[in-house]
Amino acid sequence: MNDMRKVERDVDTHIVKIAARGVQVHYGTTHAIKDVDVDILDNTVTAFIGPSGCGKSTFLRCLNRMNDTVASARVTGSITMDGKDIYAPSVDPVQLRAQVGMVFQKPNPFPKSIYDNVAYGPKIHGLTRSKAELDEIVEKSLRRAAIWNEVKDRLDAPGTGLSGGQQQRLCIARAIATSPEVLLMDEPCSALDPIATAQVEELIDELRSQFSVVIVTHSMQQAARVSQRTAFFHLGNLVEYGETGTIFTKPSDPRTESYITGRIG
Amino acid sequence: MTDITPESSSDHWTGARAAANVKKRHRSELYLQAGGIAALVIAFTMLFILVSSLVSTGWQAFTQTHAKIDFPVTQERVNAGNLERSNWRAMVQDAMVATLPDIPGVDERQLAIMLSNNAQFRLRDEVVANPSLVGTTVVLTVPLSDPYDQLNKGLIDRTTDEEFRRLKDAEITAFDALVSSGRVSKPFNWALFNSADSRFPELAGLRGALVGSFYTLLVCFALAFPIGIGAAVYLEEFAPKNKVSDIIEININNLAAVPSVVFGLLALAVFIGWFGMPRSAPFVGGLTLALMTLPTIIIATRAALKAVPPSIREAALGVGASKQQVVFHHVLPLAMPGIMTGTIIGLAQALGETAPLLLIGMNAFITAAPGTPFDSATALPTQIFIWADSPERGFVSRTSAAILVLLGFLVLMNAVAIFLRSKFERKW
Repeated sequence: MNDMRKVERDVDTHIVKIAARGVQVHYGTTHAIKDVDVDILDNTVTAFIGPSGCGKSTFLRCLNRMNDTVASARVTGSITMDGKDIYAPSVDPVQLRAQVGMVFQKPNPFPKSIYDNVAYGPKIHGLTRSKAELDEIVEKSLRRAAIWNEVKDRLDAPGTGLSGGQQQRLCIARAIATSPEVLLMDEPCSALDPIATAQVEELIDELRSQFSVVIVTHSMQQAARVSQRTAFFHLGNLVEYGETGTIFTKPSDPRTESYITGRIG
Repeated sequence: MTDITPESSSDHWTGARAAANVKKRHRSELYLQAGGIAALVIAFTMLFILVSSLVSTGWQAFTQTHAKIDFPVTQERVNAGNLERSNWRAMVQDAMVATLPDIPGVDERQLAIMLSNNAQFRLRDEVVANPSLVGTTVVLTVPLSDPYDQLNKGLIDRTTDEEFRRLKDAEITAFDALVSSGRVSKPFNWALFNSADSRFPELAGLRGALVGSFYTLLVCFALAFPIGIGAAVYLEEFAPKNKVSDIIEININNLAAVPSVVFGLLALAVFIGWFGMPRSAPFVGGLTLALMTLPTIIIATRAALKAVPPSIREAALGVGASKQQVVFHHVLPLAMPGIMTGTIIGLAQALGETAPLLLIGMNAFITAAPGTPFDSATALPTQIFIWADSPERGFVSRTSAAILVLLGFLVLMNAVAIFLRSKFERKW
């Protein structure tokens, strides 16, 4: 945590991309998220940290309405993206998910070719009018996900045949193929080895120039390495939120301090 | 504290009691394995007894005794005005008398019925097709009638008292004379697959039953497969999980256990009685079996859909696929091998189903293979039922042979199911 370079720490903009106010999530009788207020900035990597079961993944899944698919989940409060309520009745959650991409904990490529994995999103949303355009999107997405050089000669090979780290970068390529504005990552490196983790982390930093990235992570080191802003969740509460450097060096809440020094969690 | 010495704690793992414990555990593992092997041996012995008894009686039906006979087609027996109405029976009798002259104690009629009843029709068809044969001698290889076929296969004991024997001494002498003339052969019994049912065992075949079973399964598949998948996809993926869906699930599982004869009665009352559909038709049989196969397919499909990992659904939802796209682009294709396996096993079950087909009249005596699913027909299991009920000696081995054919199809279908499962099964 001592190698935090001040330059990379700086937040480029202060444009609020997603604003959450008074968000509550209930799973049946469990109160999973309690009154969370967060402003997620554009072109910034925001890390959600906290002990297991603290609600960080649950909150992440509110941001693209993935919780809608869980029958027992109930979300209240307001979440706006660019000032528009994403839970408004006029918003189609399916379309929202194309605009807010998501990368999951376990690499989960479709059991199809590498090309089809990336092309699937643009295809179902009708983003391209010709095969050439689609080819271009696939190449651009794979390049942005820093995997193009490894797979350009075998786009027809099954995506499931790649290594774990490659699969995860393929999943990132798939998520950014629909040109989302926000990229949600739910512990994207927890199933990867250190080298693959380093590659994905490097990629996350590059993605920041185009997207607002929200990453849930178990690893405080990772949060410190990749994020500009960090939110600490504990038992469903947002305990502290601010500049990553501040959170890790001068936490204002004793619970945050206990967590980052390894006493809880 | 002082009485716990290092020796006594290591005693726990090395002492006599520990040794006894280990021995006991090994013994119980041995018993379990021995029990499992014994169960397997018993099961395989049963199967072996079944198959070997079928084969030992059934193999005889795969050959049929034939005789090569010269039939003189003489002008005086032929009706020049209407060739078909010639006295073919007399010509067969003439031929037999000429072939076997001077057999004491056997009259001309007895000689004629040594050949199967269809010898006269074979001769007729041959000559009608080629009228220039009139005045010549036509050589045909025709099946012998059932008693002589049995005799040739050693199924009639020559040492039995003549009084109790199916064939009398004189008839056996006639047959032996026929054999010594070198005219008798025992080729593969193609009639078993090429002919439909007949009153005469030597002419009876499974063609009607095979075609009937094929049409029945076709109708059954065409109905049960799409309806079953539709129901399962809706229940598994779209239906709200509540009391109603629970009740539906329980009822589907119950339906899978309903005795097949009940479905037969239902089909008789509704399809034939109420809708006025034809009796004995494979179409109605297919409808009935579809009712029975539906729950099997629904249960198998739901299990296959459940087995698709949630990570794939999340991945698709994550890129903005709608629920319907998730199901039809990802979940259903991945579940297909499991669905196919379940469907084939369901159809194999339907292929062997007898009771409902008996109730809708598919055990009728029908001597022609059905041309369409709406013609009267039998099916393999009902044909077995009919033959098993027939008194002629030749039907005993034919029943076993038909069972072997049915078992062959069942093994084939299950092998295809296993092949599909292992070929397309995905490892996650």
